[in-house]
Amino acid sequence: MLIKVSSASNSGLQTIAIDVEVNVAGKGLPAFEIIGLPSKAVDESRDRVKTAIINSHIQFPSRRITVNLAPADIPKEGSFYDLPIAVGILASVTGCQLPGESLFFGELSLDGTLRHTRGALLLSLFAKEKGIKNIFVPKTSANEAAIVKGVNVYPVESLNQLLSYFSGETDLKPAEYIEVKDNWMNVQAEFDMAEILGQEQAKRAAEISASGGHNLFLVGTPGSGKTMLARALAGILPSLTEKESLEVTKIYSASGRIPPEGSLVKTRPFRAPHHTISRVGLIGGGTKPQPGEVSLSHRGILFLDEFSEFPRSVLEALRQPLEDGSLTISRSRERVTYPSRFVLIASANPCPCGYLHHPKKPCLCTSREVEKYRKRVSGPILDRIDLHIDVPVVDIKELAKDRQLKDQLEPSVIIRGRVIKARETQKNRFFDDGIHTNAEMKNKHIKKHCPLSKEVRHLLQQAGMNFQLSARSYFKMIKVARTIADLGDSRDIAVNHMAEALQYRPRVQERE
Amino acid sequence: MKNMQISNGVKTKNLETGRLGEAIAKKYLEDNGYHVVELNYRTKYAEIDLIAYDKDVLVFIEVRTKIGEQFGTPEETINKNKISRLIRNAEAYIAIKNCQKNCRIDALCVVLDKNRKVERLNHYKNITL
Repeated sequence: MLIKVSSASNSGLQTIAIDVEVNVAGKGLPAFEIIGLPSKAVDESRDRVKTAIINSHIQFPSRRITVNLAPADIPKEGSFYDLPIAVGILASVTGCQLPGESLFFGELSLDGTLRHTRGALLLSLFAKEKGIKNIFVPKTSANEAAIVKGVNVYPVESLNQLLSYFSGETDLKPAEYIEVKDNWMNVQAEFDMAEILGQEQAKRAAEISASGGHNLFLVGTPGSGKTMLARALAGILPSLTEKESLEVTKIYSASGRIPPEGSLVKTRPFRAPHHTISRVGLIGGGTKPQPGEVSLSHRGILFLDEFSEFPRSVLEALRQPLEDGSLTISRSRERVTYPSRFVLIASANPCPCGYLHHPKKPCLCTSREVEKYRKRVSGPILDRIDLHIDVPVVDIKELAKDRQLKDQLEPSVIIRGRVIKARETQKNRFFDDGIHTNAEMKNKHIKKHCPLSKEVRHLLQQAGMNFQLSARSYFKMIKVARTIADLGDSRDIAVNHMAEALQYRPRVQERE
Repeated sequence: MKNMQISNGVKTKNLETGRLGEAIAKKYLEDNGYHVVELNYRTKYAEIDLIAYDKDVLVFIEVRTKIGEQFGTPEETINKNKISRLIRNAEAYIAIKNCQKNCRIDALCVVLDKNRKVERLNHYKNITL
């Protein structure tokens, strides 16, 4: 008897329909074969399905079973074909009627229960797009799939439970729709801004970066608080919006990073990979392209500590994702596009010994060494960073004195309040532009939303001449000024906003 | 039938053991309601120890006999290679007889003691699945 079961397969963030055709022949030697370009994991599903059915106290048919995964010319990966294959076999053995318009998806355990399977959210979104009413997913993955409205997500615990539902003995209720509400969680940062003494300018830059989504480069001597500042920055980020959360959850679902029973990703990602990271680790890749750190920090922060220690080839790979907010990984077998709209926070020392420009400690590096060190980060990368800031040494005397002062420092909560307000302004402004933050503005948006007065234009032109701003930097300055104006609750970009923005240009390299 | 003429002492002895095991297996199957249709089916294309009907399923049975288990169990002698040979033989038979029945392949492992009495007999159904 031939049974057709529908399922779907994910490739990157894309989903395609897969028909699982199960034929149980009435003659010939017993066998169990899977055809349709199965990979190792799919081929092994034979043993899982067989053992799971036997352990569910169901007679496994001693017939010739042929399973075809159609379309047959696409390579099949993953373990989620277990459930559709098992359902097909059970349906042909027991003769029970399968519900129409349903997708089946899930990995079987040897005892007949279902395991958490990655990509349930993508399946659910696919079902909605194609108008398929029901999806059957493992119970532990149901929360993830249930955030899509209008699709009945059936949480399946075991094969036996599913079988008794098909035969009408017991009822199986669809998982309750999980509303995408705004009860978001803020990132629990390791440090509060109030813990950081001094560094007012750096804190201000962090605030601007968080408000407008601008990339930030912190340069300073060892121990001046660069890392602390970057980590505290996570705590002043606004919470994710509904749409952003869905985007992030999709990436995390596709790469299997959502824990069992998990649902929406509710906090902004904060990723801090070590500088020994490989290019594939940062950008993504593999024969079956997986998202890298740039995509995992989508809508969040990618913090690269010790920026100049990263291999050059790794850093240069950041160019496109920084600019486009998405990247396409092309391999011979498939092409996958992942979004990568992240805020880059980088930190580095000014020179190999670390004490260049230190007020007291002498720098032991030769000018050649300093130059070589600086050259590790290329111009094009630096040009893509909007805010460059020096993090100066904190005076020890100040540290001791500031014990009482600590209470007067602004805690992260207050700063976050301002950031949220600035983001609100941006949200209203870009209502029908399809972007979220000032940093995402394209030239046409700048034209539309950032009219410059004569004085401001004059200032910018002068600065452009003096600093030799590139065309990109020129526009970046306008974007930063826009964010500063938003923070100051000003409709127009005033001269002081632009002047402040210009301060965040990289220090002109002194040559001897 | 050529094999029967081998005068090598050990080979002949093994052959005798095998024949004894097949006889024991046949009796066991008949006692269990199988209808044996072929014993020692041998053609150019196939060698099958026993062929029987279990109700309307055609069963090909491979009989493995050993005297004592100190030099390995009969089960051990059925490896992947042997199974693929069994499948090939069965398919040849199905083709020759143009059989339209449901089939399966079983293994019967017989262990004899020194006095050629059955020490244990295990029936493994459907070994190819």
